[in-house]
Amino acid sequence: MIARLFGRTSRADSASAEERFAVASQLQLTWWRFRRHKLALASGVIVILFYLVAAFADFLAVNDPQDTDSRRSFAPPQVISLFDDDGSFRPYVTVIRARRDPRTFRMVFDQSSKVYLTMFTPGYNYTLFGLFETNIHLLGLKDPQPGDGLYLLGTDRLGRDLWSRMMVATRVSLTIGLAGVIISLFLGILLGGISAIYGGVVDMAIQRTIEIIRSMPTIPLWMGLAAALPSDWSVMQIYFAITVIIALLAWTDLARVVRGKFLSLREEDFVTAAELAGAGQLRIIFRHMLPSFLSHIIAATSLALPAMIISETSLSFLGLGLRPPAISWGILLQDAQNIEALALAPWLLMAAVPVIVIILAFNFLGDGLRDAADPYG
Amino acid sequence: MTTSRRQFLTHSTAVLASTVAAAEALAQGAGGLTASGLVGRLEGSEVVTDPARMPRTFKEAPELAQLVQQGRLPPVAQRLPEEPLVLKPLNEVGRYGGTWRRGFVGPGDGENGNRINASDKLIFWDYTGARIIPSIAKSVVMSDDGKVTRVTLRKGMKWSDGAPFTADDFEFWFEDIYSNRNIVPTGIADLSPGGRPGRIVKIDEVTVEFQFENPYFLLMDMLAGDTLIGGGMSVGMYQQRSFGCYAPKHYLKQFLPKYSSEEQVNARARAEGFEGWLRMLHNKKDWNLNPELPVLGPWRTVRPINTPTWVLERNPFYYTVDTDGNQLPYINQIVMTLAEDLEVLNLRAMAGQYDMQERHIDLAKLPVILENRDRGNYDLHLDLAYNGSDTTIHFNMSYTADAEIAKWINNVDFRRALSLGIDRNQMNETFWLGLGTPGSTCPAESMPQNPGPEWRAKWSTLDVAQANRMLDAIGLTRKDSEGFRLRTDNGQRLRFQVQTVRAFLPWPQQLEMVAQHWRRIGIFAEVREMERVLAFTRTNNNEHHMHVWTNGGTELLYLFPRHAIPVDPVEAFMGPEFAKWYASNGSLGREPTDAGLKRIFELFRSAAGQRDEQRNNTAKEIWKILVDNVYSIGTVGQSPALMGVRLASRRMGNIPSRACIAQHCRTPGSSRPETFYYKS
Amino acid sequence: MISFFVRRLLLAILTMWVVSVLSYVIIQLPPGDFVDTYISQQSASGSTVSAAEAQSLRELYGLDQPVWIQYGKWITRILTGDFGESMEWRQPVKDVIGDRLWFTVLISVAALLVTWGLALPIGIYSAVRQYSFGDYAFTLIGFVGLAVPNFLLALIIMYLSFRYLGANAGGLFSAEFELAPWSWAKLWDLIKHLPLPSVILALGGTAQLIRIMRANLLDELRRPYVVTARAKGLPERWVVLKYPVRAALNPFASTVAYLFPYLVSGSVIISIVLSLPTVGPLLVRSLISQDMFLAGTIVLLLGVLTVIGTFISDLVLMWVDPRIRHQMD
Repeated sequence: MIARLFGRTSRADSASAEERFAVASQLQLTWWRFRRHKLALASGVIVILFYLVAAFADFLAVNDPQDTDSRRSFAPPQVISLFDDDGSFRPYVTVIRARRDPRTFRMVFDQSSKVYLTMFTPGYNYTLFGLFETNIHLLGLKDPQPGDGLYLLGTDRLGRDLWSRMMVATRVSLTIGLAGVIISLFLGILLGGISAIYGGVVDMAIQRTIEIIRSMPTIPLWMGLAAALPSDWSVMQIYFAITVIIALLAWTDLARVVRGKFLSLREEDFVTAAELAGAGQLRIIFRHMLPSFLSHIIAATSLALPAMIISETSLSFLGLGLRPPAISWGILLQDAQNIEALALAPWLLMAAVPVIVIILAFNFLGDGLRDAADPYG
Repeated sequence: MTTSRRQFLTHSTAVLASTVAAAEALAQGAGGLTASGLVGRLEGSEVVTDPARMPRTFKEAPELAQLVQQGRLPPVAQRLPEEPLVLKPLNEVGRYGGTWRRGFVGPGDGENGNRINASDKLIFWDYTGARIIPSIAKSVVMSDDGKVTRVTLRKGMKWSDGAPFTADDFEFWFEDIYSNRNIVPTGIADLSPGGRPGRIVKIDEVTVEFQFENPYFLLMDMLAGDTLIGGGMSVGMYQQRSFGCYAPKHYLKQFLPKYSSEEQVNARARAEGFEGWLRMLHNKKDWNLNPELPVLGPWRTVRPINTPTWVLERNPFYYTVDTDGNQLPYINQIVMTLAEDLEVLNLRAMAGQYDMQERHIDLAKLPVILENRDRGNYDLHLDLAYNGSDTTIHFNMSYTADAEIAKWINNVDFRRALSLGIDRNQMNETFWLGLGTPGSTCPAESMPQNPGPEWRAKWSTLDVAQANRMLDAIGLTRKDSEGFRLRTDNGQRLRFQVQTVRAFLPWPQQLEMVAQHWRRIGIFAEVREMERVLAFTRTNNNEHHMHVWTNGGTELLYLFPRHAIPVDPVEAFMGPEFAKWYASNGSLGREPTDAGLKRIFELFRSAAGQRDEQRNNTAKEIWKILVDNVYSIGTVGQSPALMGVRLASRRMGNIPSRACIAQHCRTPGSSRPETFYYKS
Repeated sequence: MISFFVRRLLLAILTMWVVSVLSYVIIQLPPGDFVDTYISQQSASGSTVSAAEAQSLRELYGLDQPVWIQYGKWITRILTGDFGESMEWRQPVKDVIGDRLWFTVLISVAALLVTWGLALPIGIYSAVRQYSFGDYAFTLIGFVGLAVPNFLLALIIMYLSFRYLGANAGGLFSAEFELAPWSWAKLWDLIKHLPLPSVILALGGTAQLIRIMRANLLDELRRPYVVTARAKGLPERWVVLKYPVRAALNPFASTVAYLFPYLVSGSVIISIVLSLPTVGPLLVRSLISQDMFLAGTIVLLLGVLTVIGTFISDLVLMWVDPRIRHQMD
């Protein structure tokens, strides 16, 4: 691997590259290698974009995600036309008027008038980052008449705007995932580290615990724990409890990675060298060992996130995760999980797209990071 | 017999707005919906009472004829009672044979079959839901003072195993099952009018008397209704229940200590894998579970409900024939397959994998169901119910845990304002596809206990301005930055919890919509979806602010009062403490202080001893108080949402274009499933 | 060697015991008990249960005793082969579970085979042709399988096959075989119904295995003995298949034990959507209805199966790979 890396860089400037490579820090090396992993790089960009969406969810939302209206139940997505009839760039949508067909009982949507789009328009009130109160949204309709609305991805049964709900759901699901990963990271590093450092009985106990947790079928564990949440908890409390539950069952993989890395690094020459040089235990761990597997931890983290997201959606499917009025990807998927939605409003399946994209992105990112984490490998 | 029949009819005429005109009114209740062609007219099999039109000779299914030839079954004339019930099938005399395929959802879904077998009751409602007809009883006559009711059975009637069905079976149930405190811990209100326990006494082989100390004019309705005493054995004795007023003595006595000894029955129980004789009895007396149990209904179980396929087979001793003398039922067997999920059940129904299914069919799927009619070779019928509100928000009037919340719940203007704040048309359009009728909780106008047309809209139409004015007037004037009203004690946001369960209807989603409506009147409602068990536990502990449930069954208030008045501790959403107080005659719980509730309890208690017309007037009085005080908010009702979306295979005959959907009709029981048949 | 075996065995037994306690604790966690469920069921169907009746039921089922006594009673009975009676299904737990356990194992094993059938060749291909178009394409497909929520996929496929193929909706048997006794025709009917659930179930695990196989094989391919074999001019096919693939298979085999609970958990959700007669829907239903003996038995059974699976895969690994045996000692 080293040879190949050398081979490629030396083509440009053999001597200096060799020098740079030799004195580069661990993270620099990782970054250099990671940069060449195009798919992982692209995935990283996607992940960043998703978190930007999460940060600016309300700003990107077009309508109040909770606002219901029977007159637009199961309304299909609207197409944005970029150019006006005269060919000038004036994006518009054709707004719809709905009625129920008395024979088929389906909603029928008649095309109504043309309404132009504008940017940075006032809409519902929200607080940005919990700090500024504002009502400015990225997109909106220019001079809408009563009943006019912009539904980029259509609406659900209650007539709520799917696009806006997806924006808000992204925030909820991604933060649950992140919070869950942080908790399980903490547990994983702590217990994995203890396991590796102390060994013996402690190691044994922790390893058995991991084995037991892994040999439990997860669904009943989730169900039992989620069903045990106190009934008078608010939506937010349940949100955090679900996060903790998911994390409590997800730390085992991280603990194994950490333990394995600790053990193998202990045998490495540079650790032995540090020991011989008289470095203390803590210094060895934090100065020498930790940096060398930090990138592994990042990789493991990004690989753990998809599992968190899938857990959240599965729990919601079983009716044990977040409950409405909370909005998460799992809840949006649950809304799509019935025959009438498949037959009458297939656009509700769009809720699965961000889930699939982010899971792919995290996986490729994690893969790339893991490959890159072994710069000398 | 003629006198008793007259007795019968006089009673039933008074019981409900019977008369042909009223039945017509029922049928026409559909209004503009008839345009869709999916709502038909109430129709069904008629009981033949004219002796001249009764058949003299009897015929039977080919399978049974074969068994008779082999000597394994007595001839049909000996299997039928001397005077069988004669039904004139809806359209034509049917053909024997076929398997009726249905879906069920598990061992808790016994009602799926119980309702098909509902004709094992003493008396029953006919297809109109407004007239009482004889069933296993040939006649039922009440004394003038209402204290004694005499039941005459059909002479020569037999259980499904061929043993005679006599007054002994009533005596056995009353003495050895109902009065055994190990089996039935406490007596039931159905048999204790005015709090005084009554008796069931055998007079002779075919005559039984219900005897009470107080007048009990309601008894006739109770026996015909879906009540503990009148439900029949199929529902009365299933699961852990031990009701229904008769039981097969010749079979069940072997499981009771009285007829041998406690040691003997316990030894037998352990040998059969039960922990004790009571567990064994609960198993043996349940027709869903025990294929050996003799029954009186048209079908009997051959594969029990706790398997992936619940299979019923015709009862060769069923007591009913058609006008040609063919012993019913026409259909050989009923096969119900287990669906683990309602989506699968609905999909199978659309695929034509069920022949007739009204249970567990989801109204929201109506457009898809309609699209697939030809593919699945079925017709679709919409049967509209008579109860006022499928989605009813019950206030917990006995709530105390949070004094501020309790104060507002107990404020009548607060409750009225919340009711005025709901956009019922939007709910109807979104969740009922426009098929329901928005309004208060009171029953349909065609029902005899309806207090009058003006009570449907009373406090039950959208008026945001009025609602806001009322809330301001009662002192809820301060609001937070998001426009929600604040508590008057500590200035925090006033938050109400609405408890919902995902069952029957998408209540959590519907209440999300209501919460949005209430936002406009500054009321913050937190919709809490919870598991049914948890919700019922919380209700029982008096912990909920509001609970959402149907008010199904309240179309006949006295037969099923619990969804309108807190009298039954089992489902006392409107005030569990008051229900305990009422049911225990004051020894438990708390007496209500609200004047309206006090009056309702008073009226309700007096009703059992009132004659029919007076009793209906009392019910109207109760409804007026209920609607005016908004103890429960009605939203949308009189809809097909619960068991009213009916798929029926085009191969089947005698299927009514509209069936009565009501608790007392045991849907589809009063459509007489034994007259359904396969045309080819 | 013997000491290793004994140690593993003791650990497996300890694990099973913890699993049994955890199973019991978990099913006890939710508030309320079976009688509450029963009351709510009764009221839903329009019937009443008096307080006295509820109390007598609680006594009957021993629900009024402390949890640890209930556990003691339960575990003692389990050890004697008596799993108790399911309160909801009102028959012995072993009869309720009956065939369902075998259908669960059948579907899980079928999914396992599909997973291997896909992951092995793709993993080898991806490793040998690292960074090729095929490598990326297969990896992408594998990951999409991982990323699509399988319950959604199950419903979509079921609906589409109903809408466009007129296929039966859900289940493991056609209607005509549902009641029939076992025969070749019924077996064939079962086999025809297997691919849909097993493929949907397999999709999630495949990506994981592809990645493991690919990584393992890449590691092996870089080892000196492979370089030596190549240098000696041995045919490429032989170079890859003879030793590296076999060596790479070892850690691969050890994932089986962990794939099993994953598949079982996955089959819980898919079985509900597709209405399959496995223990999955039974488990969910019993947890919701607080049917303790049934829920406890299923959780315990699945946990124990996994522990046994892990134990066996440990032994197999030890047997096939001397290096591991050495490490473990």
